Amino acid sequence: MTTRWTVGIDVGGTFTDAVAVGDNGRFATAKVVSTPDDPSRALLDALAALATDGVAPEAIERLVHGTTVATNALLTGSLARVVLCATDGFTDLLTIRTGQRPDMYDLFQPRPGELVAEADRIAVRERIAADGSAVQALTDEEIGRVVRAVRRRRPASVAIALLFSYVEPRHEERLAAALRAAMPRVPITLSSEVSREVREYPRTVTTAVAAGLRPVMERYLERARTSIAAHGVRAPLLVMESGGGLVPADRATREPHRLILSGPAAGVAGAIELGARLGLQDLLALDMGGTSVDVCLVRDGRAPVTGMQRHDGAPLTVAALDIATAGAGGGSIAWLDPAGALRVGPQSAGAEPGPAAYGRGGDQPTVTDAHLVVGTLDEGTPLAGRLRLDRASAEAALRRLAEPLGLTLDAAAEGILAIATARLAGAVRQVSIERGVDPRGLPLVAFGGAGPLHAARLMRELGLGEIVVPRSPGLLCAVGLAGADERLDAAQTVMARLDPAAAPALAAWFGAAARELRAGLAADGISADRSTFHASADCRYVGQGHELSIPLAGLGARPMRVLAAAFHAAHRVRYGHAAPDEPVEAVTLRLIGVGRLDHPRPAAVEPSARDRRPAAATSRGTRSVLLPGTATRVPVDVWWRDGLRWGDRLDGPCIIEQLDATTLVLAGMRAEVGRWGDLRIRDVTR
Amino acid sequence: MTPRPLDPITFGVLEAALRSACEEMGGALRRSAYSPIIREMLDFSCAIFDANGRLVAQGEFIPAQLGAMGLVVRETLRRHRATLAPGDVFIANHPYLGGAHTPDVNVLRPVFDGRGRRPVAWTGTVAHQVDFGGANPGTEGADHAQLFAEGLVLPPVRLETAAGPVAPIVEIIAANVRDPVSTLADLRAQAAACLVGERRLLELRVRYGGARLRATFEALIDHAERRTRAALAALPDGEAEATGFLDDDGAGGPPTRIHVQLSKHGEAMTVDLTGSSSQVAGGINVPWASTLASVAYLVRAITDPTIPANDGTLRPVSIVCPEGSVLNPRPPAAVSVRHLTIQRLADTMVRAAAALWPEVAVAGHFVGFFSLMAEGPSPRTGRPTVLQDVVGGGSGAHGARRYPDGRVAPGGDGLDAVDTHLSNVGLLSAEVCEVEYPWRLVRSELIRDSAGDGHWRGGRGIRRTYKVLAEPQRVVLYCEQTDPRFRPWGAAGGEDGTPTRLIVRDPSGRRMRVPSKGTVTLAPGSTVTIETGGGGGFGATAAARPTGVARAD
Repeated sequence: MTTRWTVGIDVGGTFTDAVAVGDNGRFATAKVVSTPDDPSRALLDALAALATDGVAPEAIERLVHGTTVATNALLTGSLARVVLCATDGFTDLLTIRTGQRPDMYDLFQPRPGELVAEADRIAVRERIAADGSAVQALTDEEIGRVVRAVRRRRPASVAIALLFSYVEPRHEERLAAALRAAMPRVPITLSSEVSREVREYPRTVTTAVAAGLRPVMERYLERARTSIAAHGVRAPLLVMESGGGLVPADRATREPHRLILSGPAAGVAGAIELGARLGLQDLLALDMGGTSVDVCLVRDGRAPVTGMQRHDGAPLTVAALDIATAGAGGGSIAWLDPAGALRVGPQSAGAEPGPAAYGRGGDQPTVTDAHLVVGTLDEGTPLAGRLRLDRASAEAALRRLAEPLGLTLDAAAEGILAIATARLAGAVRQVSIERGVDPRGLPLVAFGGAGPLHAARLMRELGLGEIVVPRSPGLLCAVGLAGADERLDAAQTVMARLDPAAAPALAAWFGAAARELRAGLAADGISADRSTFHASADCRYVGQGHELSIPLAGLGARPMRVLAAAFHAAHRVRYGHAAPDEPVEAVTLRLIGVGRLDHPRPAAVEPSARDRRPAAATSRGTRSVLLPGTATRVPVDVWWRDGLRWGDRLDGPCIIEQLDATTLVLAGMRAEVGRWGDLRIRDVTR
Repeated sequence: MTPRPLDPITFGVLEAALRSACEEMGGALRRSAYSPIIREMLDFSCAIFDANGRLVAQGEFIPAQLGAMGLVVRETLRRHRATLAPGDVFIANHPYLGGAHTPDVNVLRPVFDGRGRRPVAWTGTVAHQVDFGGANPGTEGADHAQLFAEGLVLPPVRLETAAGPVAPIVEIIAANVRDPVSTLADLRAQAAACLVGERRLLELRVRYGGARLRATFEALIDHAERRTRAALAALPDGEAEATGFLDDDGAGGPPTRIHVQLSKHGEAMTVDLTGSSSQVAGGINVPWASTLASVAYLVRAITDPTIPANDGTLRPVSIVCPEGSVLNPRPPAAVSVRHLTIQRLADTMVRAAAALWPEVAVAGHFVGFFSLMAEGPSPRTGRPTVLQDVVGGGSGAHGARRYPDGRVAPGGDGLDAVDTHLSNVGLLSAEVCEVEYPWRLVRSELIRDSAGDGHWRGGRGIRRTYKVLAEPQRVVLYCEQTDPRFRPWGAAGGEDGTPTRLIVRDPSGRRMRVPSKGTVTLAPGSTVTIETGGGGGFGATAAARPTGVARAD
């Protein structure tokens, strides 16, 4: 019988990574160069590379794609031309924004970009009141006038965002029906379908972004689907969303704004999937690459999702993972501020020219250069198997920093690493301590090219429980795609006081939402017994403006006072105070429907010998390394990851090298190789 | 014991940790606050002080409180040093004892060493309470004659001790304000934010030791001073002056004059405010904390905004201002609408800076700072609420700027519809307004022809119309720059922007006569329309430019 494959392909800015997991446990990987002019080409290149490794296109059962096409279209401003229909008197919302200037002190700041040109904003004479009644009814004449005005402009896409459509969408719906009849080929996006939440500005931004992305994503996903079909893949194409769930490509085409922040989601999904295999339900996922670090706190096997994001200063009502990002990666530049204090990041040397050690013309000292100077990275081990590091260039760059500080080269390098570690610790604090969760004792899954180099330092700094380094730290995003589940969600602003009288209305909404999501999952081929639901309510004290998400068991059937008690407790944990006598209200109800997919598990690696010592062939000898907290270099064992076996033990200090990453284990720590080749590093001094 | 010299690495790590502690305090305050002016408009600041009340680090939330919070900590120390105990939390808003105006309430907490023997630092927050009592909803009133009309005035007193809230002061506050539920909740949030700051400080103290933390405080203040000196030294020496006017004195009297003379020599600068009007009859006098913050804003805007704000920033700057000036008044002059005056002060200082340095190639901003405050029952809960909305206008256009480090910011148009200079508060959402208050926003749109023309155009102003929905509303309104003579100025041949217009109509649509600053009772169906000014243009337009003259960029 032929092997059936689940394939994850993550298209990044520089490289496209692919993994295939067979139903027999076989694990195949491929890395190809990305093709930014047409990302679907890299998708095909990756499939071709997998095919040479025995992954036949017709034997692929599921193909999951992580794409930055939506993100890049938004970043580069290459959205389709949108005509926006807005309530008369409010057509300038996108320019007026929040009324705040992006920078408080810069008298020379540029004007923010415009999502919709002023000439393409059409006033609709209508008005819905806060209670849903019509203050000014939308007449058929007015609909006719608006349709003519829209048509005249020949838009590629139309956005409709009227006031209070989250309460009463009928004006938006009537206008949309007329526009569709008049322009059947132009996509029409309604704010009431994009977001059922109060606040017109974020809802309008999100609707305009969704409208501008639709033609772009339609074109891209159609091309991707056609070309993989031509390549022989019969499996459906799934795409990862910002919230970490998968959706079929045609659904993503209709709701492309939900892909905007999907970049970091795949890696978190990979950490969750690995955590599930290792029995770790609560963990920190840390993805450190060349320019930045993303940290996410996973609890009970799920990553928290927040409903409001920022893009370029503009708010988007998009469900995305609650991730802390800091500008601290391998390429982050170390610099002296005008008064001579040492700083690291957020500027990055990126991939081009890259750190000084790349020898491609970069002359600014970076975190990677500091690693080369202290010896945790080595000239003899090329990065990603192909990029040779040049120690002399790294030293020259660092010297320019060390001299004005009156520091030795080693001290400056160690300083850069200490400051970079402090910035990572800041990101970890943000998702843990600031959310009322103590990170001490938690495991941290470290991935990305630079994560495993910094994880041990971070474990010391924060008192973490253990470090988990996946078998392929550079491929965890692709692994996460292959291991994720389908997910749909629904949300509705209700503004309901938590008293017993409100319970039936809340239960009714959750019931209706569950039916809708179940139907959606069923339409995508997922049966009811594979569907689970997670309900939550965003609650606050009556009078507050920010909410805390309170999970609800059993589709909102929980008594109101239980919900209120959970809110008081969460408020105390998060902010350090609570007011149990004050009334609580639910602002927005949310329901997530998860459709569980089958995930084949990779096979175990070969077990260790009885003495648990790594095979001699994996030794790469020793090298002299300056470890944190020591003044002189010490010889440190270096191991090659590929030959390590399940159960092998490696005592720190040691360095474990592989093609896509280098792992540092400090003195007093021990790394043990797990069943799937993962490394688990613990502090044995504690 | 003298602290060990501080290595640059520890300094870098601790500096970042202190800054992020301030930001964490701000996040906790913002997200648990009730008053929209705190949670939506971000009118608050959080800071860390050394044991002597010197500002060490401040989170960046609003310029109007920049660098001035140390005054009130030092006043608290002066009064209570001998009796400080762990668990104490102080409250203060006295404009003549380090405060800015009565709605800006400071909540401060001494941080004791691990054994509770002596205070080693302070954490503090200042937040604009939407109402702190007094004659008017929202507490502010441009026509106030004395401080005593401006709500509850608190010198530094204990709000909490280790045993819990101090009941008498809590009861006094609750009895004096219009929406005690929100006010007490916001004070709790402020106190909780101070506690967050204390936890971070104590963690750092355990980790790095008290001596090193103290040395870092010292080094941070020195660092800010050195950077300010270096940035000032990079600008050419010279002197320049500028004059600006407010429409009136807050109470319908003659225009109030602001005069600024800047002189910069080497790495020091003097801001001489002599020649500004004497303190005035209305409530637009400026307490010293706000004058200081305005100068701190100017220094940042003309030098390097990345210089940390602390007690070192202003060391190279001398401020000259006679007592009894509108910018340094004697009690009990009223101060609650001092923001109008400091916006004009910022504008006039920038104008002097633009005259002195070609680097500061900017045109005048809208500084009319329209504000509407009204009290009425919430349509959802029936509870008393106080609505406050602040509406910005166009910022001035700018030419190109070359920075000392070689970076160049290209010339460009001003920003549309923004709060300018010392404030940066957000606009109220039309949907939130109608859900929470008995008011409907009928329009909120750009005024197309409001921008000052030029090679680069000014930003445009906003037209915003509010309608009263239920029962008569007592409404406090104020705005500036309604006098066309004082509209935003064009620069380098650019045209001026437009003045502010305020139009109030009764339910029949008839225009009512209302002053630009005052209180009015409006029946349901009445409307208030504000048209804020557009910013000044920069550089001559193509039509106005003589042939053969190159574009400015």
